[in-house]
Amino acid sequence: MADKRILVVDDEIRIRDLFSEVFSRAGYTVKTAESAEEALEIMVKTPFMVLFLDLNLPGLNGVELCRRIRKGWPMSICFAVTGYASLFELSECRDAGFEDCFTKPATLADLLAAAEHAFTKIERWKKR
Amino acid sequence: MKVLIAEDEFISRTILEAILTKWGFEVVATDDGESALEAMKQPNAPQLALLDWMMPGMDGLAVCQELRKLKRRDTVYLILLTSKSERGDIIQGLEAGADDYIAKPYNNEELRARVHVGRRMITIQNELREWEKLQGVLEMAGAVCHELNQPLQSISGYSELLLLDINEDDTKYQTLQKIKSQVDRVAQLTRKIMKITRYQSKPYAGESRIIDIEYASQIKKENDYDG
Repeated sequence: MADKRILVVDDEIRIRDLFSEVFSRAGYTVKTAESAEEALEIMVKTPFMVLFLDLNLPGLNGVELCRRIRKGWPMSICFAVTGYASLFELSECRDAGFEDCFTKPATLADLLAAAEHAFTKIERWKKR
Repeated sequence: MKVLIAEDEFISRTILEAILTKWGFEVVATDDGESALEAMKQPNAPQLALLDWMMPGMDGLAVCQELRKLKRRDTVYLILLTSKSERGDIIQGLEAGADDYIAKPYNNEELRARVHVGRRMITIQNELREWEKLQGVLEMAGAVCHELNQPLQSISGYSELLLLDINEDDTKYQTLQKIKSQVDRVAQLTRKIMKITRYQSKPYAGESRIIDIEYASQIKKENDYDG
């Protein structure tokens, strides 16, 4: 459990609070950002390996944020959590490099399974 | 597709009706302007009409004018049948609201071609209208999902967290589960709304209609289109 840190990016405080509580309870260390710009600032200082991003962010949107993270920190794993996604947006999510996409309301089981899967994958990479 | 014909002459009307039926149209035949206008006012009235210009009483030209005044919401394509072929007559006919004219005596091939132009125009307009309706529905669906799913995420997530904290024997646990199950129901609805791919409405109370979410959100099968 050395570096089980998750960054949650959502412009709504209710969602940030909820996700913080859910992941903290499961033993993760959580940091939140309310915009893509803030998330990128955080990444520059202390990179996160696992991120949950809202797609509909003010300013730079979640898809673009994912692209930049994948470019700057290729080992980081991003999950999309969105209130609404058309088929087109779903395919755009895949192209942007999201590991998976969840529509709100996502179940806690889905979110936790995603986080666990991501950290297992990272562990596997590290062992190489 | 339905087509209306207004022709006072029995033999001409019968021939026209026979030809159009043979070409696959569903023909509504009338023998004067008044009944033609009346037929075009009915629910599910034809969108395509062949009107003889020269008729006793209300003539084809007047039918065109009256029909345009009705401002029907669907596309109405009007073809005047006329032995008048002076430039002035043609202009007068088109200005009265006709979309096209056919000079009598007409040639069957030309009649067929002009009727097909009308059918094509109507089909394009109908499809465009359906597309616009669908876009409106999709925009509404997007807004509803976006606005509802945010609070739903909070309600659903916090209920799940609370359920973890409360003992299953506690009566509050049961109550909370009921709340959670209803939240899940709303969540299922927003997921269905997100899957809408076509426009389909169904009757509701009185005159009003509502989107048939169940049908509209089913995956569209190929060839599943009744144009």
